[in-house]
Amino acid sequence: MIQFSSVAKRYEGGLEALRGVSAEIASGEIVAVTGHSGAGKSTLLKLAAGIERASSGTVVVHGQNVGALGETALAMLRRRIGFVFQDHKLLFDRSAFDNVALPLRVSGFAGDEIGRRVRAALDKVGLLAREKAMPVALSGGEQQRLCIARAIVNRPSILIADEPTGNLDADYAKAILELFQSFHRVGVTVLLSTHDEAGVDRLGCRRIALASGTIAP
Amino acid sequence: MTWLRLHRHAFADALRRLFAQPVASAFSILVLAVAISLPVLAAVALQSVGSAASSLETDPHVNIFLALDASDEDARRVGEALRSNPEAASVKFISKTQALAELRSTTHLAEVLDSLNGNPLPHAFTVRVRTTDAAKLDAARDAWSKLPKVDQVVADFEWSERLAKWIHFGNTVLATIAIVLGAAVAFIVGHLIRLQVVSRRDEIEVSQLVGATASDVRRPFLYHGLSQGALAGVAAVGLAAGVSLWLGSQLRALTSNYATEFNVIFISPSTCTAVIAVAALLGLAGAWWAVGRELRRFAPVR
Repeated sequence: MIQFSSVAKRYEGGLEALRGVSAEIASGEIVAVTGHSGAGKSTLLKLAAGIERASSGTVVVHGQNVGALGETALAMLRRRIGFVFQDHKLLFDRSAFDNVALPLRVSGFAGDEIGRRVRAALDKVGLLAREKAMPVALSGGEQQRLCIARAIVNRPSILIADEPTGNLDADYAKAILELFQSFHRVGVTVLLSTHDEAGVDRLGCRRIALASGTIAP
Repeated sequence: MTWLRLHRHAFADALRRLFAQPVASAFSILVLAVAISLPVLAAVALQSVGSAASSLETDPHVNIFLALDASDEDARRVGEALRSNPEAASVKFISKTQALAELRSTTHLAEVLDSLNGNPLPHAFTVRVRTTDAAKLDAARDAWSKLPKVDQVVADFEWSERLAKWIHFGNTVLATIAIVLGAAVAFIVGHLIRLQVVSRRDEIEVSQLVGATASDVRRPFLYHGLSQGALAGVAAVGLAAGVSLWLGSQLRALTSNYATEFNVIFISPSTCTAVIAVAALLGLAGAWWAVGRELRRFAPVR
């Protein structure tokens, strides 16, 4: 489903986030990317989601070589991948409902279909009662779940989450990880990054450990 | 279907943005309308002057005065030569005695004329000409002034030729003004759209992250520019029509003392439509320019 072959990513200014990373995530698998901050977890996830391009090496997602895709094809690939951002990237000028509806509006869904899917996604993360709330009125955990609802509203076959348990207390983090576990159980390929080793242990999933931009031995 | 829906959504979004800040939108549309109405008013002025001039110039004619010593026989020969010219529609002979009688009856110069010994007036012809073409008229005038015993050839439509040249010059000025102000409209819309793009930066970024293509992002802004331009076009035509009506009534009051009537002629409905269409396209062009510029600046994929 997702395949990294000798992938390197160098940012402008010389920062080398990844060096020669090779890894593979099978369809329907749930994988945790672990490592300290600055190990390259976010970069690896963004490469898998077609949000960034590798400096060298190849990233293949859904059988497509991401590096070779044009702008439009890349946008189309992104529609098939749900991404939960570390900084949420919610829009504060619109309601929870409209935040979740954004990917569907971008894809050109009809109004009634949008309503159905958005409510299903909000229900899934337990925010159905808050659909009219503005993001500022939501707690940190609720904002996180809203971001997850937006990531799954397109019913993607790949769900990628960057530090979804980052600033949450232990109970809340556990609930979020269980949520991802439930997506995994219905066949979604889940790739998430975390530095919460205990959480990953509880999840009992395969891990890709990164250290300073390479796979840790 | 999806394609149509995307366009409908983009258009609805653009209108929503336009009406979300009604005062700001109204002001920017008014600024654009003033810029567009200036060339429209210039066109109205030129058209009105042109039409007034052509109504005066109904009867282009040339007066030919013979020398004082020309005999009746000379006059007959000149008359024949004039009638044989293809440019002459009709030739009217006014003998010196006729001219004197006319002068005596229409002026109070009878006593002065009586005190003169003999008739001071020459034989004359009035030739109505068929053509208004300057080159042909010049040729005819040259030929006639070379006829024996012809003293003077006076064409009294020279002023209208000169006016036509001024109107032509006016049209050139109008075209230049239209181009300059058209560019101004495109840049003003572009600037307004650019501000919109910058203020919606977060939304654009997130949209792109969840799979919006460059054209998905561009679409609502293009509709915004297009509708802003079209509304400004409608407002400009309305503004110009109002000003023309008012000036027309003022002008009629002024010219009612004169024999001629001067009317303000407004641009035709098809020209109005063209003005609105061009304004809309200028808005679209401005938006295209602005969005392209800003999108390149914050493309999410590196």
